Amino acid sequence: MDIMIKILYAVISVIVATVYGLTLGGVVQKIYARVHGRFGPPVWQPFIDIIKTHGKRVSISHGIMFYLGPVFRFAGGLGTYLFIPVIYGSVVFANFSMAGDLLLVMYFIFFGQLGMALGAGEGGHPYSPLGIARGLSQMSTFELPFSLAVIAVAIQYDSLNITTIVAAQQGSILNWTLFTNPFAVIAAMISLLGMNMHSPFSLVLAPQEIPIGPPVEMNSSFLAILQTNRGLFTAAKLVLFMNLFFGGATNLLIMIVKTFFIYLVSVIVGAAFPRFRPEQSFRFFLKWPTIIGIISIIFIVYF
Amino acid sequence: MVNPIYIIILSLAAGFLLSIFDKSGRKLSLIVFYSVLTFNVFVIADWFYRFTVLGVSTLTINTAGFSAPLSINLQLGIQEAFVLLFANLTGLLAAIYLIKKFKESNISSLVLYLILIMGVNGLVMTRDLFNMFVFLEILSISTFALTILTKNKKSLSAGFKYMIAGGVASTFFLLGVVFVYYFTGNLNLDFINPSDFTNYGLIAIFLLSIAVFIELKPFPANGWALDVYESVNSGITSVIAVVNSAAIIFVFYKIMPLLPQNLLNIFGIAGVVTFFFSNLMGLKQTNAKRLLGYSSIGQMGLLVASIIYTIHSPNKLIYLIVGGFFTNHLIAKAGLFWITGIVKKEKIKDWGILKENKFLLILFGLLLFALSGIPPFPGFWAKWEFIKLLVHGKMFFVVGGILLGSLFEIVFLFRWFTIAVKGEVPSENPKISFEFSKYFSTTIFVGITLTISVVIMKYFYDFNWFQFLPLIAVVVLYFLDFIPSKIKGFLSLIAVGIYGYFLYPFESNLQLFFGIIFIVGSAINIIATLNRKNINKGFYGFLLMMIFSFGNLLIAKSYLEFFLAWEFMTISSFVLILRGKKAQKASLLYIIFSTAGAYLMMIGFSLAPNLTSNSALIIAISNINLPILVTVLLAIGFMIKSGSLGVHIWLPEAHAEAESDVSPFISAILLKAGVFGLFMVGISYINHVPAFDMFYWIGWIGVLTAIVGAFLASFQEDAKRLLAYSSMSQVGYIVASIAILSHLGWLSALYLSFNHMMFKSALFIAIAGVYYRTHTRTMYEMGGLIKKMPLSFISVLIGIIAVSGVPPLSGFGAKWLIYSSFIERGWYLQAGVLFFASAVSFLYLYRLIHTIFLGQLKYEHQNVKEAPIWFLIPQVIFMVGIMAISMYPNLIIQPLNSIVGNYFNSSIIVDGYNITSSLGNWNGNMIMFVTMGIFVVPLIILVLLNGRTQTVKQFNIVYAAERPESPQTTHIAYNMFAHYRKALGGWGKPRIWNFWHETNEWAHSLSGLFRQIYTGNGQTYILHIILYIVVIYFIMGV
Amino acid sequence: MIVALILGFALLLIGIYGMLSQKNLIKIVIGFSIADTGTHIIIVSIGYLRNRTAPILNSAVDISKAVQQVVDPIPSALVLTAIVIGLAVTALMLSFVVELYKKRQSLSIDDYQELKW
Repeated sequence: MDIMIKILYAVISVIVATVYGLTLGGVVQKIYARVHGRFGPPVWQPFIDIIKTHGKRVSISHGIMFYLGPVFRFAGGLGTYLFIPVIYGSVVFANFSMAGDLLLVMYFIFFGQLGMALGAGEGGHPYSPLGIARGLSQMSTFELPFSLAVIAVAIQYDSLNITTIVAAQQGSILNWTLFTNPFAVIAAMISLLGMNMHSPFSLVLAPQEIPIGPPVEMNSSFLAILQTNRGLFTAAKLVLFMNLFFGGATNLLIMIVKTFFIYLVSVIVGAAFPRFRPEQSFRFFLKWPTIIGIISIIFIVYF
Repeated sequence: MVNPIYIIILSLAAGFLLSIFDKSGRKLSLIVFYSVLTFNVFVIADWFYRFTVLGVSTLTINTAGFSAPLSINLQLGIQEAFVLLFANLTGLLAAIYLIKKFKESNISSLVLYLILIMGVNGLVMTRDLFNMFVFLEILSISTFALTILTKNKKSLSAGFKYMIAGGVASTFFLLGVVFVYYFTGNLNLDFINPSDFTNYGLIAIFLLSIAVFIELKPFPANGWALDVYESVNSGITSVIAVVNSAAIIFVFYKIMPLLPQNLLNIFGIAGVVTFFFSNLMGLKQTNAKRLLGYSSIGQMGLLVASIIYTIHSPNKLIYLIVGGFFTNHLIAKAGLFWITGIVKKEKIKDWGILKENKFLLILFGLLLFALSGIPPFPGFWAKWEFIKLLVHGKMFFVVGGILLGSLFEIVFLFRWFTIAVKGEVPSENPKISFEFSKYFSTTIFVGITLTISVVIMKYFYDFNWFQFLPLIAVVVLYFLDFIPSKIKGFLSLIAVGIYGYFLYPFESNLQLFFGIIFIVGSAINIIATLNRKNINKGFYGFLLMMIFSFGNLLIAKSYLEFFLAWEFMTISSFVLILRGKKAQKASLLYIIFSTAGAYLMMIGFSLAPNLTSNSALIIAISNINLPILVTVLLAIGFMIKSGSLGVHIWLPEAHAEAESDVSPFISAILLKAGVFGLFMVGISYINHVPAFDMFYWIGWIGVLTAIVGAFLASFQEDAKRLLAYSSMSQVGYIVASIAILSHLGWLSALYLSFNHMMFKSALFIAIAGVYYRTHTRTMYEMGGLIKKMPLSFISVLIGIIAVSGVPPLSGFGAKWLIYSSFIERGWYLQAGVLFFASAVSFLYLYRLIHTIFLGQLKYEHQNVKEAPIWFLIPQVIFMVGIMAISMYPNLIIQPLNSIVGNYFNSSIIVDGYNITSSLGNWNGNMIMFVTMGIFVVPLIILVLLNGRTQTVKQFNIVYAAERPESPQTTHIAYNMFAHYRKALGGWGKPRIWNFWHETNEWAHSLSGLFRQIYTGNGQTYILHIILYIVVIYFIMGV
Repeated sequence: MIVALILGFALLLIGIYGMLSQKNLIKIVIGFSIADTGTHIIIVSIGYLRNRTAPILNSAVDISKAVQQVVDPIPSALVLTAIVIGLAVTALMLSFVVELYKKRQSLSIDDYQELKW
């Protein structure tokens, strides 16, 4: 019976996160539009999109892996989210975080990406592998500063357990990693720019170059799943960052506020800068954020 | 019992009478000729038997009715008998080899030949210095005359050079003899008192010895010998290189007691210098016989050095070392010279012709292996003991010179071998003519060297049958070679099973673990080889040899047993790699690097303290405090085998070019032998931690190997090279984890070793299946094969997920363990680099699966079928294995935890399926179920909501308002990560490859430079001799 | 006999110099022959003992004191053998020269160096 309650909680948790993530997406679209001087779509536009794409009359599949690609992707988003304790102290939002630690979450992010890449690959469209090649390359580069930051955090709290890390940051705002280990946070936040794939790091979907890249062949329900996942996955990443660097959240409201502001960093940068070429982006991540990441480790070990 | 003086008398008498016999026909003279030679062999063999088995004491023969010193006396002891047995046997076999020539030529050739043999016998037996001079001259003159058995311009001019050089040397010898007499009043070796040589007396002994030494062809005063070797008939060359050399080296041995120690030291060094430089100069040589000449003078130098440096050792050791070098060199050299006479190809590059004649190829290979000092041939044991002796004497420069020289020798000998096996067959004269007599002699010699090898293994070392197994496997399968391949495969599988059964009761669980990787892993991989058609000569023999040597590594009880198994493993894997279609360069690279590593290990083991217990080495070594130098040497040796950064360049070539069902053995199992070795070093290290933290640096090398390997893999177009670099990267992880020297670190290393064995086998076999169907390894030529080969696709999919470390498969466990152990140990930056490497690995993994199985199917692959069943079975087994340990990680974590618990205190808590370290936790079982849940639920929803899906044809894609026509232009595969390469800029240059390439170029340039001293001008050669004498004189500093 | 010893060494060196400096094959052989002769003289010279007679047991020598009265006979015996051997070697060398000349019509040693390196 225990496990059924667990699953029920997980379902609630996932729904909340998805709804939040999609809304967040709508808000961000609105912000972008205002920056561009447009009126922009309503904030519930992502929901409309999902229903609309799902309702398409024609649904095309290129094969079994293509069919499973979006499933993998969504499972990746779900898993990433479900292995993170979302709200500190909450039973409902603890998810399945006891199955593993931070390393599990970091590697589960790859699960969806790999599955999606495989599905898109079977689509046979040349833009898909182009986008995937860019995405994988860029991922490998921003993963370096991010992992350095994570290692710095692990050293700092002597743990890889997310709950432990959050617990250690409770009490005062000055206990946040942001203030106790600022270099790690800077490195990780720059990596987050890459993860969120806003400009200048929007290589993968790059509409003008390789129109939307990997999901180019995705249609109807497949695309709907991907759109749903986009909301959930964004929320998962933001929650992870909030937990690691910004003191976590003790209730839903704090979670929403904190993650919104974390996301806002990406949005501001994205609205202000044009896109990098692939090699510029790779070089950027391997240079400054990596150096900051190394500094963060030196800082935490020796100071 | 025949008095050996009859050898001399009969040879001389027959020699003079032959020209009379010849009047009544060549047949009679030939009968007389061969009976005398045979008689000699039997007389000496009889004496040799008496000395060795019956223990008869040394025989002294007085002449002219007086005893020495009034008359000349001959002596025949065990040493003389040994040398003469070889000399006379070689003489007989060379004569048989030359029978066709002797039938046609002038009778004087037969006479000269008999006189030569007589001279050799006299030279070896006589104790009188002047008599020695006489026999030396008899020998020389008959040899000079025999050089023109085939009269052409080259052999004439070589003979002339030989003569003037020999003339100068014998002039000095004569002077030496006379001055010895002047200072001591005696000519008999037994009565000369070395203490009489004071002041000027030293000049006497110097002249005597330097003359003999010149005859032994020291560098650089040996140009004449090279010319003779190159130009003279092979049969006669073999006599000069073997029979004459044997006699002269024995003369040197006889006068050695007279020489002062400082002169001996100089000669010892000169011998090593000769060995080093002749092998260096051999690098650039393209003429087969001249190459053998270089090798021959080098080996003579080594032989001289070995005599000088072993002189104070126990008799048994001298026999093994000097006798080993002596027989090894002479037999192999004679045999190889004979083969050059059979093949009749001057240029080495034309030797591809040999592969048309399998029997001759085997003879050639065996002799070549013998010459390169590969076990079980005598040269291997001699080298092992000699190096040990030198190392104990702290003569490191000598050791370095010998081993580096040997490495050069390996390079040119194996280059020759690979050409013989894989080279192109020359267009003109593509047939090797068959002459029974020539084959007969060569075969006999191969038989003798093999017999001696067995005798050494059995009687000197007392090895049991287990150590013989790798050899037995080759021999047995050689005789079963006519059976179809499949049956041999099944037999091999059974043999491996039985072997495993006998091996099974291990002393420790670590051995058991590696036993599972080596033996069970190999057994499963054998299944893939069952797909082979036809006969496949030689394949299973060497495969079994390799597998048995893996196992023997585990149970080796001494350094030598370990090293023996290691060398067997190297040579068998070399032959297996060489079987690949274009594996000539790859296998050469492999054997060179392996040998270099083996030499380092040889020094390391020589320096290591003696073992104190009678357990397997991996256990016994824990009580041994290895000096830091030993640890470094052994570690480098093992890291070469596991393809660490800097010494990895053999790895991609060997993995890629080996036959596709051999690659899984090389990658998934062979590399683990290096890992096993590193564990061995580590076990000693953790019990006796030295001041210098070497494993810290090994850790860095491992980490850098991981990242560089991952990048290199990402930039490959060849599927097998990609997997090869992936192996390099993964083994880098393993090496780095071993270097952590903590419980968690070793746990990760073992876990990853096991995991890597499974997923890399599965991947290589899957690619083997793809190659089997598509006949290409170049990935961009494939694509879309998922629809044609779905099972292979699933196998690759599971494989790459396991490599990448994506949950829920077993790879994540490895990643979790590794990062936890690194952070726990405080190796933060290394952990960061490993994270990076792991992210980069997604690049090549995606590339592998996408470009082969996804994207656009090529037209030529429309009718491709699923891989054969024999490839699928092992893949399924490995997949089941991967899934099992993914879902129930306890299956492997529990045993590994207890294995590593023998060396470190456990640092993890295993509670059910939950594993907790000091940093975090991992519950593989729960992850698996959650993942299945979150995967299945959306899938069901999708299937329910999306019933209208229709599958479309290949080109039905949204493509910039046009419909693509050709899969070639639509499949993104070639140079997939071009932008990454661009981003890396100068970091992407192949620096290590360039470094080794430059090293190679330099060695060859130096070789080309040094050998220019051999101008071909006879006067220069005399000048060399004169200058050599002067220089040695000044170095001696009288 | 010290003069003979010096002379012998001088001949030896002259012979070797000749072998090294002369390009003509026959002259090289002559050089060898001179060096060989020098060696023979050296051998004979070191066997000589001042104020002694030839080692022949005839009326000139008191058999019971022969050891004190004759020169050392061994070098003389040796030199005979050495001369014979030297002759054989020289003859063989010359026959090689003849054969070489037949093949190439040249006596210069520089023309016979295609075997090298």
